[in-house]
Amino acid sequence: MHDLVQPVLTIAGKDIRDAVKDRFVILMTAFLLLASLVALAVAAIALKGDVATYVEAKAGLIALGKDASTIPDPAFYPLKLLRGFVEHVEIIGAIIGILIGYRAAASERGRQTLALIVTRPIAQWQFLAGKVLAGTAIISAGLVLAFVVAGAAVILISGVTLNPEDIVRLASVMSAAGLYALAFFLLGFVTALWAKKLPNALLLAFTVWLGFVLIAPQIGDTLDPDNQVAGGVFKQLQIAKPQQLEILQSFSTYETIRNGIEVASPTKHFERLSFAVLGIKDTYAGQPLMPILAEKTSDLVWLLAIALALGLLLFARRLDPNRLSKE
Amino acid sequence: MMGTTLANAPIRLLAAHSLATIARERTVALLALLFLVLVVVAAYLGWSATSTVNAIYLRSAEYMAAQGQPIPSNPVLDTSPLALLRNMATYVSLIGALAAIVVGHQLVAGDRKAGTMPLLGTRPLRSVDLGVAKALALVVAIAALVLFAAAINTATFLVLPEFHLDAGGWARLGGFYGTSALYLLVFGFLGMWFGASAKSETVGLLIPVTVWLTVTFVLPQITSNINPVAALNPVSALADAPASTFFQLTGWALGPFSLAEAYRLVSAQLLDFMPPTFIDRSAIPPLASLLIAVTALGGAAVAAVARMDMTKGDYDA
Repeated sequence: MHDLVQPVLTIAGKDIRDAVKDRFVILMTAFLLLASLVALAVAAIALKGDVATYVEAKAGLIALGKDASTIPDPAFYPLKLLRGFVEHVEIIGAIIGILIGYRAAASERGRQTLALIVTRPIAQWQFLAGKVLAGTAIISAGLVLAFVVAGAAVILISGVTLNPEDIVRLASVMSAAGLYALAFFLLGFVTALWAKKLPNALLLAFTVWLGFVLIAPQIGDTLDPDNQVAGGVFKQLQIAKPQQLEILQSFSTYETIRNGIEVASPTKHFERLSFAVLGIKDTYAGQPLMPILAEKTSDLVWLLAIALALGLLLFARRLDPNRLSKE
Repeated sequence: MMGTTLANAPIRLLAAHSLATIARERTVALLALLFLVLVVVAAYLGWSATSTVNAIYLRSAEYMAAQGQPIPSNPVLDTSPLALLRNMATYVSLIGALAAIVVGHQLVAGDRKAGTMPLLGTRPLRSVDLGVAKALALVVAIAALVLFAAAINTATFLVLPEFHLDAGGWARLGGFYGTSALYLLVFGFLGMWFGASAKSETVGLLIPVTVWLTVTFVLPQITSNINPVAALNPVSALADAPASTFFQLTGWALGPFSLAEAYRLVSAQLLDFMPPTFIDRSAIPPLASLLIAVTALGGAAVAAVARMDMTKGDYDA
């Protein structure tokens, strides 16, 4: 067993040391942290503005001698502040995954060491497993750092301590983010390992990223009729929620197609799961965690299936000796 | 216009050769094709979403009439036919900008990887001529991409008679393509700049992509819409910033650098989907931001190409 695992650990250890030396992966992780902190600060400032408006409206009613209880107290969920952070993980986290995967293959191809490795007494699966293990460790370290900083920032900004369930919610979203970034790591690794020209592999991976992370959710979002009119079409027509649902029943095929486009994207699965678990989507705010996790299991299964499928693809195909050099 | 004089002949030759080289690049072709496919998708999405809102209105009107409620006006009738193309602004700022980075990068990287730089260094050629030639090639490539998009969108309006444009509408459409070309040139010049100045090809690609991410998703958070993903929806992206001194100040000071927002604002004005309540807080008008950015980055890109080491061929890594 030791003989089987040791080469995997050796390759993983070497790859982690190389990745730490590679400034670009570190810089992109720092960029994610910076963008996340900007998102959190902006959300907190916007929230402060909402609170000031509420206090002003309440004071205005009291000054007019009216009953201030007609304005309900706003509910405050500190994890809602993480919306921008989650959206940055969707976009930048996926890019970091691609870059780590690309670097894992490009570092060997660029130094012409891949051809040398395949001549050593090491199985192909051991080499690939070492690389995947290293990628998983680097992604996990970056995400743990990002989520700890984000959680600390939420506490600092809101002045509210997170309870154990909030921490479990954060950990759940972090695990889903790990799976999501791992899928993009595998995409970057597979393309950089197999492509004839390395820079083309990066561009191909970015094109796939563009399609799944930005374009598919964009098309789904744009086809939502409620997003086509500023403020929402039903709000403009002043139609209540039960009647909205009744009217929308006539458009079920359209809605199925729209939703189908959205769920083709792993990003949307990660977003739906995260927004529900963190209570960012209003219908889930204040709801207990376990029923939410049970409802959102399908999104988690999708993320797992995508990562697994790419992993199988990676291990199933033999390394082509003609594709082991830089060009 | 540049005439065919002896002095500019090398520039024309270099520009033509550069264009011929990138036309053979499969990745460039793939991204350009994807962009053109999305141009068609943008028109379809605009038509489909508008038709669905119209159908929902008609269904709602039936319901309200049955309930004896007053029927409000149809929101589709308040929409300009040009707003059919509102998704174009999103696709130009996503796939178009990325394609422009790759084109700008490849125009320089192609020569570096082919090892032709030392050969060019032996020719009676001023280094600035090479920079001008590459910039000219980029302008032609971007113009071709935008003209293709314009042709597709024009055909869309001609086959959909319910979306009729008057002379003013066609002029606005022309203005939109001009603005789109300006925006794409910003990223094309950025790609060219780092394609020429970076020691590694990968870094030369990744720096412009990081700048693009910042301009598209990070800066608009501070200057207008606070949710990064709102940038994907042409309507949501124009939601007003929260009423706060912070956003007034950041909108004013950082607005001139928030180029994706500047492009969206000009596009929304030209394609007639600007929400009436939207306030632009930027210190300078959005079109001026784009013009300044194109001029500055164009200068930086030409200078970077002119400063390239003509004794060296390929990238370091």
